[in-house]
Amino acid sequence: MMIRGLFTISKWELRRTRSTISLKIRFISIFILILIGTASFFAAQSGLHINDNIYKVVVTDESIASVIGSDSKFEVFVAEEERAKYLFEHDNFDILIIGKRIYYHNNEKSISAFDSLDKAVKRYNEASLITFNDLNNTFPVWITIDNLAREQSFLSPSMNKLPEMETETSPDTQSTTGSQSDQASSTQTAGTPVAGIPGIGTTQNARVPTLEEISGVDQISPISEQTLSTPSHLSPPIPFKSIVLSFLFIFPIYFIAQFFSSSIMEERIKRKGELLLVSPVSSAQIVLGKLLPYLLGSIALVALMTFRLGGSPWIILVVLPISLIYLSTAFLGAIIARSFKELSFVLIFLSVFLSGYIFFPAMFSNVHAISIISPMTLVVRLLENETVTITDYMFSTIPFYLVSILIFIFGIFMYREEDLFTQKTVSGKLLDSIQEFIKRAHFPLFSLSIVLIPIAFSIQMMLIVLMFNFPIRIGIVLFIIVAAFIEELVKSVGIYTAFSRKMSDATTGNALKFGILSGLGFFAGEKLLLLVVIASISSSAFGSVMGAGLLIFPLILHVTSTTVASLGIRYSGCRYYFASVILASVVHAAYNLYLVRSVILG
Amino acid sequence: MLEKTLVLAIIVQLFIASFSSLLVIGLASFFDPSALDKYNSPRSNVGIVGSGELKQFIERGHIRPHNYTNLSSAVTGFYNNEVDAIIVIPKEAANGTEIIQVMTYLPKSDIKGTLAMLQLKKPLENYEAYAQDLRTSRLGFEPIRLIVDRSPKKTSTYFEFIYGILIPLLIFTPIFISGGLIIDMLTEEYERKTLDLLLVSPLSFSEILDGKMITAIIIVPAQALLWLLLVTINGVVVNNIGLLLILSGIVAAIVVILGAMIAVRFKKRMVSQYLYSLVLIMLFLAGYLFSNSPFNLATRLSAGSIGAQALVYFGVYAAVAFGLYVGVKRMGMRG
Repeated sequence: MMIRGLFTISKWELRRTRSTISLKIRFISIFILILIGTASFFAAQSGLHINDNIYKVVVTDESIASVIGSDSKFEVFVAEEERAKYLFEHDNFDILIIGKRIYYHNNEKSISAFDSLDKAVKRYNEASLITFNDLNNTFPVWITIDNLAREQSFLSPSMNKLPEMETETSPDTQSTTGSQSDQASSTQTAGTPVAGIPGIGTTQNARVPTLEEISGVDQISPISEQTLSTPSHLSPPIPFKSIVLSFLFIFPIYFIAQFFSSSIMEERIKRKGELLLVSPVSSAQIVLGKLLPYLLGSIALVALMTFRLGGSPWIILVVLPISLIYLSTAFLGAIIARSFKELSFVLIFLSVFLSGYIFFPAMFSNVHAISIISPMTLVVRLLENETVTITDYMFSTIPFYLVSILIFIFGIFMYREEDLFTQKTVSGKLLDSIQEFIKRAHFPLFSLSIVLIPIAFSIQMMLIVLMFNFPIRIGIVLFIIVAAFIEELVKSVGIYTAFSRKMSDATTGNALKFGILSGLGFFAGEKLLLLVVIASISSSAFGSVMGAGLLIFPLILHVTSTTVASLGIRYSGCRYYFASVILASVVHAAYNLYLVRSVILG
Repeated sequence: MLEKTLVLAIIVQLFIASFSSLLVIGLASFFDPSALDKYNSPRSNVGIVGSGELKQFIERGHIRPHNYTNLSSAVTGFYNNEVDAIIVIPKEAANGTEIIQVMTYLPKSDIKGTLAMLQLKKPLENYEAYAQDLRTSRLGFEPIRLIVDRSPKKTSTYFEFIYGILIPLLIFTPIFISGGLIIDMLTEEYERKTLDLLLVSPLSFSEILDGKMITAIIIVPAQALLWLLLVTINGVVVNNIGLLLILSGIVAAIVVILGAMIAVRFKKRMVSQYLYSLVLIMLFLAGYLFSNSPFNLATRLSAGSIGAQALVYFGVYAAVAFGLYVGVKRMGMRG
């Protein structure tokens, strides 16, 4: 019965979309898509003219002019020596070449031009070498890279020394390397422990490269990791082409999410959706019924692309949580916004953050384990024909699944007349849904804190990205303060709802009780998450973290700070809610700052 | 009283800007090991097996060498984390005739391996140049060699990213948003049937259209100015700010008028936004296909590679905008 209602809504949704997009519009979009395809084709052929003619070069030798001119970044002029010198000094030229001698200005642009010039000349020389067709003499040195799986040593990040910038460090500093990603992650996936020497036979010989391979050295096949190259073409194993390809999978999802949110929004205008709400179908059936065609559509599109590009079918499973998160945030935006204009902004805002969260770690695929945070890394790996384990999958996708399901649950609570057709504020609507949650859930405040953890966690991850812009000490302090604020907000919002909506009396006893429950819930959820995450990574770390003594302090912290907030709400009233939260965050941040004081004070 | 949408738009663009600067540092450090010098990365532990000419080159690199007599002892050291990379010195000589094969072993998906490889790259390149010099002289090959007194130790990646990608992005994102905005503004009137009310007032449809379009266009140079100022405060020199603002205005006009045309023709929000997105993608791609496109002009103007000569191209784009304007007015009169 429940499913049947759901399917009916889906059918109606499909019928409506089909009528909106008439035949003419379909033709027009196909036409434009063809144009886009043609443009991409040309772009792939001739390259993107991003920095054309950005540098101005004057030379005296014609032959050198043609060498440099082969690179579109340079605008090359030929002149006599005197004239050339004059132009270089007075007419905004970046590089002067008299005969074979290069002169450059001491400004940023000139220096950059010099480096590009260096690269251009190297490329030119290489191209001429290739025409000789004599590999042994033109490209004699070939490097073969063999990647061995080695278990990564799981060191809890030693926060004794920060990577110093622009000062001399002694060669035997015990610091973690200059890469800041070490701070961001305290988890690294372990490679499978290897026994013996895999794949290294006693007569391992590097392959002799073929001529195709040399000329193709610049365009390494997009799907495989580089294993054979000359020294000048050695590059880190960032699979750029795979990353771009993976972007193609996500692209249609943006559109579909747009349509979904438009559909939801349309029914809110002029109360058009009221009839549906009055019908025997429940809110859940309506929302899920509307979701179904769009979800299936996105899966179908991804499947289509997978088969066209020849990737593994598991890609579909990996992209599923990504579709869910975009669709769920589009849904949330459509419920919250008060007009289409507002909806556009909300959607842009949410999709930029989501895209950043998804693509940034994927840039580090093959380089650092932190890339596992994003499911896109898994797509990149699948595109490169590498294996993906179940634990990898769970680690990257569980936050996505959890947050999407959460958003849908809270959104369904809001899918009712009072919230859809009124001009309530955003906070009003969100509190409504929390109120519903408290009414329906068991141990409401305890479970609310647990349930909101993925959201707090995700926001904190995005914060880390932003904090990179500040010098490192300031960044850490800022991060601790803002992260504390977010956690306190999450823990106390249920208490605020309970008191402000008069669900319970605002007594001191209740304040204490709620504070303890909520803090306990958050602590339990946090440690549970840590348990699941770390247990799947390394048995040694599991032991050290789960030592009982270590757990007491975070527990006391969470309970104390939340109680501070709830007592604050009790005594200062609901109007000063934010003040109470800030007070609690101060307590929380102070504790954390105290813990890392040695790092910050150096 | 801060308008919610304005705040959101600002936060989004801030995020994009900070995100991209982070990306630059990350990517630049991977492709230009010298860029990492500023952060003083520690020397990688590299295991060297065998001996030969190459060994001297490697030992001069920014690494800490560990010598092993054979491969299996090196591999044991590798798994004990004594070394993060192994390189096997080849038997072939630089002045020989055989291919010189160098085997290296790196840890999979480990940043230590990437670092080690980047630090090995320079000595390997030097060795290649040495071997190439010896061997290509046999072929009579004369490489183009230019001389310089002192080589600056800076790369072009950062510069070319800032002026080639970041600044055009900051200037053109408000334009894309404005296009979406005009469509919302117009389709809203059609769908909520408020247009009829507006038409009853002394304003004609033409004037209403003008008013809305001007709003969408004017906010673009304003935003562009803010972003360019922000970027300047961050230490980037932006030339020709005035010309850049004019460029942003003209391109905004083109995109907004196009958006208005779509909205007036189709009148429904969902369809108009959808078609607008498609058209935008196409224009975006086309913009990167040739020099003197708006993106390229923005790059060159901000980097100081072109000055008043750009006005010629401005004229062309302004003419396009004017043509579109005439078109949308005609459509408005019919529709």
